[in-house]
Amino acid sequence: MSENKIVTLAEDEPLNLDGGGSLSKFKTAYTTYGKLNDKKNNSILVCHALTGDQYVASDHPITKKNGWWSMVVGPDKPIDTNKFFVICPNVIGGCMGSTGPKEINPENGKEFATDFPVITIADMVRAQKLLIDYLGIEKIFCVTGGSMGGMLVLEWLSKFPEMVHSAVPIATATNHSAQNIALNELARQSIMADPNWQSGNYYHSDKKPMKGLSVARMAAHISYLSKEALQSKFGRNLQDKNSLDYSFDADFQIESYLRHQGFTFVDRFDANSYLYITRAMDYFDVSSANNGSLIEAFKNTQSKILCVSFTSDWLYPTSENKKIVKVFNSLGLNVSFIEIETENGHDSFLLDEPKFFEAIKGFINSTFENL
Amino acid sequence: MSLINENKDFGVIAELIPNNASVIDVGCNDGSLLEYLREYKNIDGRGMEIDQKKVQLCLAKGISVIEGDADTDLYDYPDKLFDYSILTYTLQATKSPKTVMQQLVRISKKAIISFPNFGHWKIGASLLLNRKMPVSKKLSYSWHETPNLHFCTINDFIDLCEELEIKIEKKGDLSNKKLSNFSGKNFLDSYFNEVGLFLVSKD
Repeated sequence: MSENKIVTLAEDEPLNLDGGGSLSKFKTAYTTYGKLNDKKNNSILVCHALTGDQYVASDHPITKKNGWWSMVVGPDKPIDTNKFFVICPNVIGGCMGSTGPKEINPENGKEFATDFPVITIADMVRAQKLLIDYLGIEKIFCVTGGSMGGMLVLEWLSKFPEMVHSAVPIATATNHSAQNIALNELARQSIMADPNWQSGNYYHSDKKPMKGLSVARMAAHISYLSKEALQSKFGRNLQDKNSLDYSFDADFQIESYLRHQGFTFVDRFDANSYLYITRAMDYFDVSSANNGSLIEAFKNTQSKILCVSFTSDWLYPTSENKKIVKVFNSLGLNVSFIEIETENGHDSFLLDEPKFFEAIKGFINSTFENL
Repeated sequence: MSLINENKDFGVIAELIPNNASVIDVGCNDGSLLEYLREYKNIDGRGMEIDQKKVQLCLAKGISVIEGDADTDLYDYPDKLFDYSILTYTLQATKSPKTVMQQLVRISKKAIISFPNFGHWKIGASLLLNRKMPVSKKLSYSWHETPNLHFCTINDFIDLCEELEIKIEKKGDLSNKKLSNFSGKNFLDSYFNEVGLFLVSKD
């Protein structure tokens, strides 16, 4: 198990941000597992999703639950920490120790709140690159992640192609569709509509935007599951009762489940971080720095790549992932693609999906053997 | 499909491919042909395979493979991306052999295509004498469970190439492990080759 580490980066030079402005002396909280070998060629950078964090394979300090990818990362797991040195940083803008809206602005000694600059996926990747430099790694063996983590992977391939030997972007897209943006906007509006949000200045208040954040999470959670999964798990089953109450209590199990998801989420996540990170995802377009051309965006990429999608994922569907594959194919890259059949929706990459695990393991191990 | 998996077939195919060529094997099975060509010809190989179990086998061998369908996914490649494309024992199982062939010669400079020859004398004899769809080592499925949709003979294949203005450069005789330049239809080939194997191209 890894302990959380925090490092201050950009001490000499500030990190310039896409939206203008910069961050200097920012903190990155991260975990590592396994050992970096003498050749320094066995590192795997794991990029977390919107509400993930650096606790990829160690118990979460707040929820006490297993790390979010503990089925994938660990000794003898598909990403075997006996063999690989795994690094997982909390993104900037996050709320688990990396510099973000709830951290103290060194300039005035107060929480950033909404004074925190709007950041992009590329900014997050530039910040991660400083961590990799700090760790003394010139070439990362593999960069991987699902959902927003997959966007970070794509941005790594585009921005720092010479630093990435191989990559596994999972259940992701080269940019957000109108539907993706709409869902995030719904989440942001529900946070900002909560009077306890107080324009983001709630850190010293007794009242925090828990209801708004909770509703945001409920909406998002629906998008992570498929209709089939919801139907087979909950159907129209009633919650602890035999008949309808004719009220607005949680009559149905699905209502009770979603409320639970919402309530537990607010204990571990900061509402302002949710605003910033969803904004970064909406702004993401890996082609934008290259006049809208995906071919240009990846023209210097030489990495070996495995793209993965899930059949029932409607948030980042197979069609979006295949678009990525098509671009890599057009460039003649060493790209593989596999579509995992499952009814678990977008969340599949976080769940027990043996065929998904087999693919990751096969790709990573064979790529390492052929180094 | 009973796939060509004996190394003697691989050897004939390897003879057609120069060192360091870029190659896509469409319907690449478990990747063993690509592995063979990687070892003996140092090719830069890619695979496409519809069966996910086989895709997993390719991944574990370090072969870049797309889980995909020859009928729909070849469109994703730009013109002449590869030096060679290979389609072994798959043409007869595609929905549209004509389009697949057009795609193969579009995405690669040369294409190697092999298929079971339905004109082989044993097949003719089996139909003639037993009045039953032939089942043999190379055609191992009964009619009601076969994935093969479009059987053709060597002569049918030659006609289709002509229609599509695809040039046949070489022909292979797998039972004798022989390659020779193509010079038109040939009675012996169409009767006695169990498998048709051709090197084709279109500018």
